[in-house]
Amino acid sequence: MEPEQFREVFKRLESEVQKIIVGHDDLIRKVLIAFFGGGHVLLEGVPGLGKTLLVKSLSRALGMSFKRIQFTPDLMPSDIVGTEVLTDANGRREFQFKRGPIFAHVVLADEINRATPKTQSAVLEAMEEKQVTVFGESHILTSPFIVLATQNPIELEGTYPLPEAQLDRFFFKLLVTPPGPVELREILKRTTGTESGEVAKVLPEDDATTVNEMKQLLRQVMIAPPIEDYVVRLAHATQAEAPNGAQTSFKQYIRFGSSPRGAQSVILGAKGNALAEGRVHVSYEDVEKVVVPALRHRIILNFQAEAENISADQVLGEVLKRVSRN
Amino acid sequence: MQAELEHAQPENLISGLAAKLRRHALWDALLLFVPPVFAGLYVIGVPLGTAWLGEVPMLVSAALALFFGALAVLLRYRPAVPSVSAAAQLLDRQAATQDHFLTLATVEPADWPASFLARLRRDAGNFGRLVELKRDFPYRPKSSAYWSVALSVLAALLITFVLPLAVPAARSVAPQERLRALANEIARKPELKQLGAKLLALAAKLDQPKIPREEKKEQAEELKKEIQEQQKKEEQKENRDLLGQAESALDGVEQQQAGGQEQKDQQKGGGGIDSNLKQEGQGKSEQSQGGSGASKGESSTQLSTDTQQGKSAQGNPKEPGAEKNQKPGDSAQANQPDPNRPGKEQNKEQMAKNQGGGKEGSGKEKSSEEPPPQGSPADRFYKNGEGKDGMKNAGYVTVQLPEELTADGKGESRAAKDSKGGRGRNQVPVSNVPLPPYVPNAPSEKQQVPIEYRGMIR
Repeated sequence: MEPEQFREVFKRLESEVQKIIVGHDDLIRKVLIAFFGGGHVLLEGVPGLGKTLLVKSLSRALGMSFKRIQFTPDLMPSDIVGTEVLTDANGRREFQFKRGPIFAHVVLADEINRATPKTQSAVLEAMEEKQVTVFGESHILTSPFIVLATQNPIELEGTYPLPEAQLDRFFFKLLVTPPGPVELREILKRTTGTESGEVAKVLPEDDATTVNEMKQLLRQVMIAPPIEDYVVRLAHATQAEAPNGAQTSFKQYIRFGSSPRGAQSVILGAKGNALAEGRVHVSYEDVEKVVVPALRHRIILNFQAEAENISADQVLGEVLKRVSRN
Repeated sequence: MQAELEHAQPENLISGLAAKLRRHALWDALLLFVPPVFAGLYVIGVPLGTAWLGEVPMLVSAALALFFGALAVLLRYRPAVPSVSAAAQLLDRQAATQDHFLTLATVEPADWPASFLARLRRDAGNFGRLVELKRDFPYRPKSSAYWSVALSVLAALLITFVLPLAVPAARSVAPQERLRALANEIARKPELKQLGAKLLALAAKLDQPKIPREEKKEQAEELKKEIQEQQKKEEQKENRDLLGQAESALDGVEQQQAGGQEQKDQQKGGGGIDSNLKQEGQGKSEQSQGGSGASKGESSTQLSTDTQQGKSAQGNPKEPGAEKNQKPGDSAQANQPDPNRPGKEQNKEQMAKNQGGGKEGSGKEKSSEEPPPQGSPADRFYKNGEGKDGMKNAGYVTVQLPEELTADGKGESRAAKDSKGGRGRNQVPVSNVPLPPYVPNAPSEKQQVPIEYRGMIR
């Protein structure tokens, strides 16, 4: 596959999803980048903002199989990964593995923070390993595979916040913001009339080959060593300093900084962004565009930040200001 | 056409800009440090022009200035040399690209797909057409260069105008250097060529530490006599002046040699308490040795000290060499001496002139400055702290000088020593009263009663 083809497919996917989702162009682009970067996305936003619709539209445009799992406190791991069931075939009784909803190309883990940690970890293991193990037998997940998890930031009662180690497995954490007046008017126009938008398939049904080629192409995008250094410096800048060390203004709020996975996500995200813009090399701007979604869930802030109502995004904004390109 | 194609190659553009930026950095460093170096060379050259500094020290100083200037340029230039990536980033900024040139300049071609590289090169080439190195990256001197030039010029001007005012008193040319300069000047005159050659030979000899000081001194004295004779014969005023200067330079050489000798003797003898006693003694001894002219009436130690301090040499007011009290300010006369030379030399020069050509003026000058020949001199002829009876309210330190020790060894009489000016030494009390006879176990004359028994005894 050539970069031009990648860009064409990418643009068509974007435009198809934009037919349904109004005012979230950047969100759509980043979800697509994460998909071709081989990562998973955590979408955070209040109910009713179109998270589920976004994922559905995306899977349809991609022509990939889609499953939705509504996470509840009584959801069991076997409900997600599948289980062995006793079957009676041709007079022979035997256990047969019945695949759970995780065996799909695009999985929507709706309100993932409502499930118990045991169930959450079953999903998160599948996300990382791209396989599940049931009764000692490993089952490879379909490729390509992407989990789009959502969580509600306001209803915290009866929820199990994702542990930091599991949050680290998400490529991007994207915030779904409420639409502005213009976007809302457009949403109303599209959803309350007689016309209903239809997402066209951009790729043929279950065309994993094309998607995998695109994923492969993304990794071939060139990145200059100074830009790699810049990513390293950004990731390093998020590290909390030693207690006796001199602390800069933003570091005083950081408890734990970004992991190496964070830097990996930044570079892959930047490569995806470069390809999407029709370039075969990463620029500083590409990096800066993806730093916040790639690192915001990887920085653990301390109580002081909480007390002063400082968010990870603010800290990262400061990091971007302080770390020079050269 | 070929050149255009080459120029369009983005790699060439990057390397061309990098070379250009290197030249800019070199210019920056040169403009920063060359003006101070030139100012330094000028500052070094000014004393040479006034014969303050010899040729060799001047050359060494100039070489050092050039060396440090070059070192400074190098130290400034090396860290300022822009890297290829920096040049590429500048191109990116100029052409408003998204790090095309940076990526092209820094990526390892073997690590990336050839098709991607070709595409990147093509894109960068398209952007490169928008850039023209001469137009977009002209050289502009930094403000530091202007400051450097301004400060250097200021320093040179200050040196030019302030040095002649501030330095004359502090100047002290090495006698042999001055002698050499004068010898060269004399040698240029056809009628004095032979004398000039002799002076040059002496100057060369003075530089050789192996030749004994006595020999140098003797030769200087001989030449001095020769100069004096020549001076009498000479009819041209210019030549007479020149010879007078040479004579005073020879005086300086003699004093230098004598001073060095005395310093040596002092180190050997172990004396060294610096007091007026020492000066007096030496002064008198010299007077008794020579006493040939006005210039010999002072101690060499005093001379050297005075020369170092930049004063005009002042003799003892009681001595006949009072002509030396002439101040530099008095020199606004017909034979005006060089203000750039030490006062003592000027005075000697003046004296030489007076002796050689200006016979009519010399006597008057002397009489105006000397103390009255009979009776006690007026107070103004005494130094600060001295009076008719010697030093006022002064505590004398009595020391035994090395000469006195030598005299003691030779068995010289006390009277003779006193007549030489040495002060009477304190008498050390001694006695030959025999000790009382030794009696074993005898109580001492006074035995202390132990303190605890004193009450009981009472």
